[in-house]
Formats: sequence, C-alpha cells, structure tokens
Amino acid sequence: MIYTHKTIWTLILGIIMVAFGYLVQAGVLNPMIEFLNLAKFVGKPESPGEMIILPFVCGIIAIVVGLWQFAVKPKEGNLDYYLSTVAGVMFILIIAFVVKWGLDPLMGVWGKALKPTLGFDIHSVMNLNYVVMGILAGIITVNVFNIPSWAENGVRLSRLGLKTGVVLLGVLYSWQELANLAGLSVVMIAAFVLGSVGLVLWMGARRKIPNSMGGVLSAGVGVCGVSAAVAAAPVVNAKSTEIAYTIGTILLWGVLMMFIFPIVGKQMGMNPTQFGAWAGTGILNSAQVAGAALAFEPDGIDTLKVAEIFNITRILFLPIIVLWLALWYVEREAGAQKVSHGSVIFSKFPLFVLGFIVMFILGSTGMFAPGSELPGKYFDNSEKHLVKKDKEGNVKESKMLSDKDAEVLKAEADKVTDGTQKAALASMLENKKATSFEHDRQLASIMNSHVLSVKANKVLKKMHSAVYKPAPRISKFRDIIAWFFTFGLVGLGMQITMASIKQAGGQPLIIGSFVGAVKAVGSLIVVWLLVKEIV
Amino acid sequence: MKEKFDRGTALTIFRNDRLEDIGALVLSLVIAFLVYNFVN
Repeated sequence: MIYTHKTIWTLILGIIMVAFGYLVQAGVLNPMIEFLNLAKFVGKPESPGEMIILPFVCGIIAIVVGLWQFAVKPKEGNLDYYLSTVAGVMFILIIAFVVKWGLDPLMGVWGKALKPTLGFDIHSVMNLNYVVMGILAGIITVNVFNIPSWAENGVRLSRLGLKTGVVLLGVLYSWQELANLAGLSVVMIAAFVLGSVGLVLWMGARRKIPNSMGGVLSAGVGVCGVSAAVAAAPVVNAKSTEIAYTIGTILLWGVLMMFIFPIVGKQMGMNPTQFGAWAGTGILNSAQVAGAALAFEPDGIDTLKVAEIFNITRILFLPIIVLWLALWYVEREAGAQKVSHGSVIFSKFPLFVLGFIVMFILGSTGMFAPGSELPGKYFDNSEKHLVKKDKEGNVKESKMLSDKDAEVLKAEADKVTDGTQKAALASMLENKKATSFEHDRQLASIMNSHVLSVKANKVLKKMHSAVYKPAPRISKFRDIIAWFFTFGLVGLGMQITMASIKQAGGQPLIIGSFVGAVKAVGSLIVVWLLVKEIV
Repeated sequence: MKEKFDRGTALTIFRNDRLEDIGALVLSLVIAFLVYNFVN
C-alpha cells in the first residue's frame, strides 16, 4: 500500500514555517512580540530561542519532504510509510505554534485588560493557557473541519510524542525526589487501582453485565485508560463493541476531568505535589493526566513530574491487573483458555517505563549537569536547592536579603498590583530569599515591568541572581519535553471525536461514571488530607 | 478501529504498543545524544 499523498500542503506548511522564523529573526514581528511579551521565546542573536529554531528546523524538514513527495514516485515500504507522517506532524505543530505564541499570550493580554470590567482575570480563572487551548484546538479541528487525509498519519504519531515526553522526563528526577514520591505513589495507586478494578467487577456482577465487558471496563477505569482496556481485551475475550463502550466512557470522563481538575486544583490552592498526585491517581486516562498537569502549571514542569510518577506507577500495575483479570475470567467462563502467568506479565509489561528508567540512570550519572553545580549525594535537578550554599551546605549570608534591602522593597511593595507577584514579593520579604522557582520567575517579571525604582530593581536582580539556574542541558531537556507534550496533546485532541465519545452508553457508562467519580473525589480527599509537603 | 489502516490503529502508526515504546526510547536516546553533544 502507498501512503504518501501527493499534496502541496507539506511544502506550503514548510514555507510558512521558514518564512515565520525568518520574520521573527529579522525583527519584522517585533511590535507583535513586544505586545504579546514573547521576548523569552525569541532569545538573543547569539542564542536564538524556540520561536526561531523550531520554525526553521521543522520548516526545512517539511520543504525537503514536500519536494521529495513530488519529485519521487513513492514505493511501498517503510520509507514511504514513515515519511507520510511528516505532513501531519507539521499540521499539528503549526496549530501548536499559533496557540502557544499567539492565542495564549493574547488571552493573557485580554484577561488583564478586561479585569477592571469583569472583576477577575478570565485568562487565569478559566485556566485558558496554551495546553488547554491546544487540546481544544485539536478537538475543534477534528470535529468541525475534519483532519485532512494527508495529515492523518501524522496525527497518529501523537501518542508516540507523549510517550517520548515521559521517557525524556526521566532525566529530570533526582534520587531523592524518586525516593520521596515512590512510597507515596505506590501506596496510593495500589489502593485506588485495586479498589477501582474490584469495584467495577463487583458492580458489573450485580448489574449482570457480561464478564468480558466487566473485565475490559475494570482495566480501563482502574489502571490507565484506553491502553489498559486494549491490553486486557484479549484475556477476557472482549468484543469490539465492548472495547468501544469502554473507550467512549474513558474518553468522556478523561476529557471532562482534564478541564475540571486544574480549575478545582487552583481554586483549592493546591501545590504541584498535591495536584500531581491527585491528577495521576484520579484521572482515568494517561494522556489526560499529562494534559491536566501541564494545564495546571503551563510554565513549569514540577506538577508534570509528580503526576507522571503516579501515572507510571499505575501503568506498572497493568501486567498484574491483566493477570488478575485472566485468572478471574477463567474461573467464571467455562471453556475460557488458561494463560501462562509469565507470558502475561512479560507481554503486557510497558516497555517505555524501562525507557524512563534508562533516561533516569543516564541523568543520574551527571552527564547532563555538572555535579559541582548541584548539591546532594547524587546530583540533584530538583528545585529545592534554590539559593546557593557554601561547602558545608549552609546558605551563604551574602545570598540572603539584607535588612537594608528589605526596607527598600517594603517601601515600594504597594506599587506591585498583580496578586501572584505580590505573593512572591511577600514570601521573599518573609523568608529573605526566593522560596520557589515560580516565585523567582514572578520576581523577575516585577523587575522586567519596571514598576519599582531603579534601586528596588537592583535588589530584585541581586536576589534573582542568587537563585540556582538549571544547567543549560537540563533547561534544553525541559523545553524539548514541553514541546513533545504540546505536540502529543494537540494531536490527542484531534483523536477525541464526538463519534468515539458517543459510543459511551448503557451499563458501562453508569458503572464507569460511578467508579470514575469515586476515584476522583476519593483521591482528592486523600491527597488533601495526607499530601502536604512539596517534594 | 483497525479496518481503516493497513498498519496500526486510529491511535498509532505502529503495529503494536511494544514497537511504539521502542520508538519512544530510540527517539529519546537520539535527543539525549544531540543535547549532550550540542548544548553547553
């Protein structure tokens, strides 16, 4: 079968990207960049930012592939198959560019402009950041305009994008973080996964749905969503309609929760650890966990790191749950084929989790960040070590806010009107240093807005420079990971069709919704009561 | 879901999850190599 479409769009998208990169680099778009506050994405001439590098690199790839598609008659095979995805990848990226560098900052500007009229910042309250808008853009594209046939194969790469993001995320954890999170996640996930699977099977028996339906629904609702349902289907002999019912229920719940969780989390004032633990436990589908975590904290990666540890922990439960379902099914269905325990565990083990571990080990060698910059027994990429310390591990006095400098800032604190910036400033005045990277970012934005005097700005600059900055390679990994997730989530939006959600219905929807709600509320209560620390 | 595509499903271009996982691992290693050699 030939997959390559002779379409002009690959070439056009490539030319648009290169032209955009050129206009940004040449400074033609400077008024827009200034208005939307995009300077951080443009970078400097000696180190261009993502708004220049990404359009150039992706655009050139698209132009080369676009020309190849016209010049060469494609032959059936792997080259034809994999190159046919390029057009769709560029299609997703163009939408992501528009959302991240256009709609998101524009909504931020509008939100601030409308604040005096509305009484609140709609951009912040409705959580309309680039992650949420990117997924919405994907959903609107597929349901209103349809995906062009030349882009379909590229859209089917979005799950690969999400998995690659998770694997790369392994680089960013420290031993200490993993140790802190592992115990908490194993206990919580074990309780909620086993509890949800058991509850679905129990409700299924009471409501007399077929064992195959109960089995596949319990894996989907209990473990990690669509992939778990598909993985469990063969061992319970699920029919395709039963898989479709399960997928419909999970997507309906996953999409709803992906938008609701971040709003609730922000209203409750959760910290990244609490929200990450809640999303990683309470949201049914893996992809939507990443979406909710990034929607909660679009400019940072802490929440995503916590959420993915919880998500990976529950994915690790998949082989065990599939084995349980296989044994459960054999007990209840006469004529059901017995399975080998070892082969089930082996065949259902999610290999990309091993990839995550490989990247974690590579990161732990210190090859991406010089050990001398990062304190701790092993090197540490965590954001706990905010202010530089001496050899004994004590914070250097010179790096703390002096009383004299504190007075300068206190005298001008009223000039800061933004709530988040005010909180960051108050925290620094109290603790004599920046207490989180988010606070550090807010202090930098106060500095950049020039609302304070030159003297006060100098104090802020001093405090900002006292904060550890991640090593360049680690920063690059963060940017790359964020883009893989952005790509994956816009593509994920394009896979959420009304037709697939409409498949939800009947008893599976009732049981799935009940257990999904119990899981979301139950995990919220547990997290709220037990998870207090910032890991 | 399979009928429309000769390889993979509506969710992935790969024939099975394991191939997709290997793809993610290979891609990650390539990126790690590039970051290690060209950043700093």
